[in-house]
Amino acid sequence: MKNKRIKRFSKNHYDYLRKYRTKKALILITQISILLIFIIGWELLTRYEIISSFFFSSPSQIIKTIGELYSSGELFLHSAITLKETLIGFLIATGIGFLVAFILWYCDFLRRVSEPYLVVLNSLPKIALGPIIIIWFGAGSKAIIFMCILIVIIVTIMNILNAFTSCDKQLIALTKSLGASKIQIFFKLVLPSSVKDIVSTLKINVGLSWIGAIMGEYLVSKAGLGYLLIYGGQVFDLNLVMTATVILCVLASVMYFAVAIFEKIVNKHYHS
Amino acid sequence: MQNLVEINNLSLIYQDLKSETLALDDINLKIQPKEFVAIVGPSGCGKTTILSLIAGLIKPSKGSIKINGENPNLKSNLCGYMFQKDNLLPWRSIEKNIYYGLEIKHKLNKESKQYALDLAGKYGIGDFLKKHPDELSGGMRQRVALIRTLSLKPELLLLDEPFSALDYQTRLELCDHISNIIKSEEKTAILVTHDIIEAISMSDKIVVLSARPGKIKAIHQLDFDKSLTPFMRRQTDKSKQLFDVIWQEIQNEKQKN
Repeated sequence: MKNKRIKRFSKNHYDYLRKYRTKKALILITQISILLIFIIGWELLTRYEIISSFFFSSPSQIIKTIGELYSSGELFLHSAITLKETLIGFLIATGIGFLVAFILWYCDFLRRVSEPYLVVLNSLPKIALGPIIIIWFGAGSKAIIFMCILIVIIVTIMNILNAFTSCDKQLIALTKSLGASKIQIFFKLVLPSSVKDIVSTLKINVGLSWIGAIMGEYLVSKAGLGYLLIYGGQVFDLNLVMTATVILCVLASVMYFAVAIFEKIVNKHYHS
Repeated sequence: MQNLVEINNLSLIYQDLKSETLALDDINLKIQPKEFVAIVGPSGCGKTTILSLIAGLIKPSKGSIKINGENPNLKSNLCGYMFQKDNLLPWRSIEKNIYYGLEIKHKLNKESKQYALDLAGKYGIGDFLKKHPDELSGGMRQRVALIRTLSLKPELLLLDEPFSALDYQTRLELCDHISNIIKSEEKTAILVTHDIIEAISMSDKIVVLSARPGKIKAIHQLDFDKSLTPFMRRQTDKSKQLFDVIWQEIQNEKQKN
């Protein structure tokens, strides 16, 4: 039984729809314009040397650098390395974080015991652990991934646990009154009611895992976008620095949109 | 007739770090099958606590509760608890909300689904099954909550102020509706309410509790004509007299504190 929708609308409704679409289009046009103005402005300002193209690079230089990196095979190499580190860090941290949050939700005793530790770990700047991580994991990908996990996991645990524990007490009472076990309460009630918070945690984690991977690469890397940034900075090659930044922007947005698509699928599944 | 519910010398003490509170003191109550019992009393007298005890959500400190001769047990299927809030899950459609209890009790099958859907059709929810809770009015949502409860075929309905969150108009309508549903499904019910008239309009027996600690102050057996709806009962002189009596009883209790 599908909802019956009225096929013919009143004039008012068409006006409403038109206004809605106009506004949506206007927002998109403005967004694109800002980007175009930024890029064109940047290009013109550097081309006429109003600002120094040495310090600021320029869009055409960036495109040229991307072309060079592409033909030398470095573009793919560096992007793939950082992307791999980020994705592995993201998945492991989110997965383990979720699991830990579940265990802490399930066992109130453990939750209370862990509380002060989580608070301290959360406020600790993870970069401070850099030297320790290098000593433990060596100067390679492992250390970078570990840094990434470290940055993402605590926030994940805290956010998801918070979502679990803030489930409506009345709904829990109802579910208990129906004779539900704790596992049932979790899967039938707590998890679906936390979907929104979990998805927003994933979105935050996308950003954090990039931070983690780049920070890790600043510490130890021999390749990757973070390495390009550091290297470019050291040899004063601003074209390289800007190029790496642009590639980072693109990759991070792609990952963010992947999570947004995931969000849509999850919503569709749960709103049934 | 054998009693469905027998409460003997029931007491409950709430513990917290600073104090302990005697919430219920020596409650004795017998409820027969198909009886509609209302519990009224000043606020904080432990009305809801009695329901939680009967449902098995909390354990008595002293005394016993027997439902069909058994201790209250959440896993059993004897009680259906209806809360002040409808507690529908916003991400589920009305249909899936109705199945919620069946799912949890692992009883979701063709027959139980059909039974639930028949109830929904019979009581005016049939056209809204694919909608979500936020698309329904408060009265409708509360009816969905009742159908969710009834689809488990409980012997005993525990109604914890199910009307108090509704506006007056809806409330009167829903009283008639739910009273009719409970009568025609031949259920036993315990209604907790602070609204004396509502208690009078729906029940066969009214239990008046004292202020904390809740003790049974009076029990009124009602003998209205069976054909009267709750709304019609509200109009009678008998209701008004009874209201005065119960009002006075509760007033006296309040002054004691």
